Parts: sequence; C-alpha cells; structure tokens
Amino acid sequence: MSDESAEKQELITFASTRFGELQVPAESVIEFPSGVIGFSHTTQYVMLEHKHPFSWLHSVQDANLAFVVVDGFEFGQQFDVKPPIGNKDTDMREDDEYAILIIVTVRSDPRLTTANLKAPLFVNMRNRRGVQVIFDDPRYSTRFPLWSEDSQKNAEQATTEQAPAGQKSEDGSK
Amino acid sequence: MLILTRKPGESLYIGDDVKVTIVEIKGNQIRVGIDAPADLRIYREEIYKQILEENKSAAEAVMSGSALEQLSGTWKGVGREDSQSGSREKGSRTTGLSSLSRQPQPQVFMKRKKRSRFDEDEEDGKKVPPETEGEQES
Repeated sequence: MSDESAEKQELITFASTRFGELQVPAESVIEFPSGVIGFSHTTQYVMLEHKHPFSWLHSVQDANLAFVVVDGFEFGQQFDVKPPIGNKDTDMREDDEYAILIIVTVRSDPRLTTANLKAPLFVNMRNRRGVQVIFDDPRYSTRFPLWSEDSQKNAEQATTEQAPAGQKSEDGSK
Repeated sequence: MLILTRKPGESLYIGDDVKVTIVEIKGNQIRVGIDAPADLRIYREEIYKQILEENKSAAEAVMSGSALEQLSGTWKGVGREDSQSGSREKGSRTTGLSSLSRQPQPQVFMKRKKRSRFDEDEEDGKKVPPETEGEQES
C-alpha cells in the first residue's frame, strides 16, 4: 500500500461512448502494461460498478472499449487458478493481494452470456497493475455459460405461469 | 522464417534466456520443451487466437448491446458459498472488487429476474461446454 499520498484528489476525465464523460480519481486507474490480449493499444482502465456481480472494466484511452467483468471468486473453488508469480507487468509476488476479473461476453439474448474462464485478468492490489493470463487447461472454457438452458426455461415458465395450487401430476411412475 | 533442423534431444536458444528442446517425435507429433523466464508468455497458437477472438467478442458485444441491463442480480455465482465463507488458504486473493472500482457508477438500472440455477446446485459437469469455435453472430 504505497500511495496514500499527495495527489489523492487528482481527478482524470475521460470519454465513454456508453456513459458519456466520466471523471474518476487518478489513483483508481488500473494499468495493464501489455493491454488486454488483442487490445494492446490501451493500457489504462478503470473499474466501474455495475449491479452486482457485474462491473465494467472501461478503457481510459479508448472511449469505445469496455469489458463486462465479474469477480473470479464467483466461480468458487473449482476455479482454482494460480496468480502469475514473477510476472513483470504486475510485479506479482508471493505475498501480494490480487483480484481476479473474468471477462464476460454478453450475448444478444443475455441468458446466453458466457464467461471466459480460460483467460482471467489478474490485478495486483499493491500496484494496481494487471495482466491477462491464459490457462491452457481443458477444465476452463472461454465460453462458460452463466445461465444454463434449464434455468432459462425455468425462468420463462415461472414468469408466465403461477403454479396452480391444487394441480397434481397423475403418474406414480417415478 | 529461419528454419533449422534438429534431432530429438537437441536444443536451440532464442536469445540468452529461451531454450527450446525437441523432446520426442512420435508419429506426426513433436514434443517441444521450453525453458524460459517465468514472465514470458508462451501459448499454443490456437489457444492464443481463441482468447483473442473471445476478447474481441466481449468488447463488441458490450458496444452493441443493452442486454446487460437484464443480467444483473440474476446470477449468483457457481459454488460460491464454500469459497466465500472464510478465506480458503489465508490466501492473498481478494474478493471485494469494491476496492478496485470507483465512482461514478454508470447509471444503468435493471430489474431483478429469476434466480439462476446456481443458487441451488453446484455446477454439475456443465463446466466445459462443447465449444463452438470460430465466430458467433451478435
């Protein structure tokens, strides 16, 4: 925790095609020295809160560029990725506190939305620097569905039909 | 492109730090060993491209879509209870992203919908869906 110091109040202003002009404390910037893979032209991002559990990772330098992200913790213990100790972009050390951000791909039908577990972003909390790491591991998909197909159906049914109270299923077979 | 011929067991250096060794040749497969600094990122090409494409899809979808407004509040994570309650290994992985995010909040509101199935179940082998490679349309 190095920089609780002077320019705490300094604000930066940047443009967003989605949100208009935004102003955030300069200290809130997260630096990705290598960028997000495929987007090396922009290295500075800020996190904007969306409704839980989603957040925006918005580029400071590119008004068009933003990702929807979700905390890696939301994926539980099965999602057990190790931080990139020794990584130069983040100066990641054994005892550093870090956050994991998972990039979400929002589909036109939002319930088909997926999360990219194969390539999480690690942010070192000590220096607010981040890196995207690829895990070449078949357990982790680039398109992990947040909502399953059954849950879609259930959700639709539940909204349209209020389960009639007296109705019984007549089969005894199961 | 520089092309070199090597036999199994032989190596070559790329700069001072990277050593590439042909470990084994088996049929039409070649096993390659790489000694390199830990921070050097090494990926199989197809994986790298897959990530590239997915990142681009994610960014484009955000630009075009207002779909996200329907999302929030309905997804409760996967098997989150266990990981949330108590730090798993006095680890250094932090959960609250709040320390990362700052005001102003974007003024996007959305209404709550049904709970996701992840509320009840732990994920049930659904973890690795058949992946549709290539492009998807928006």
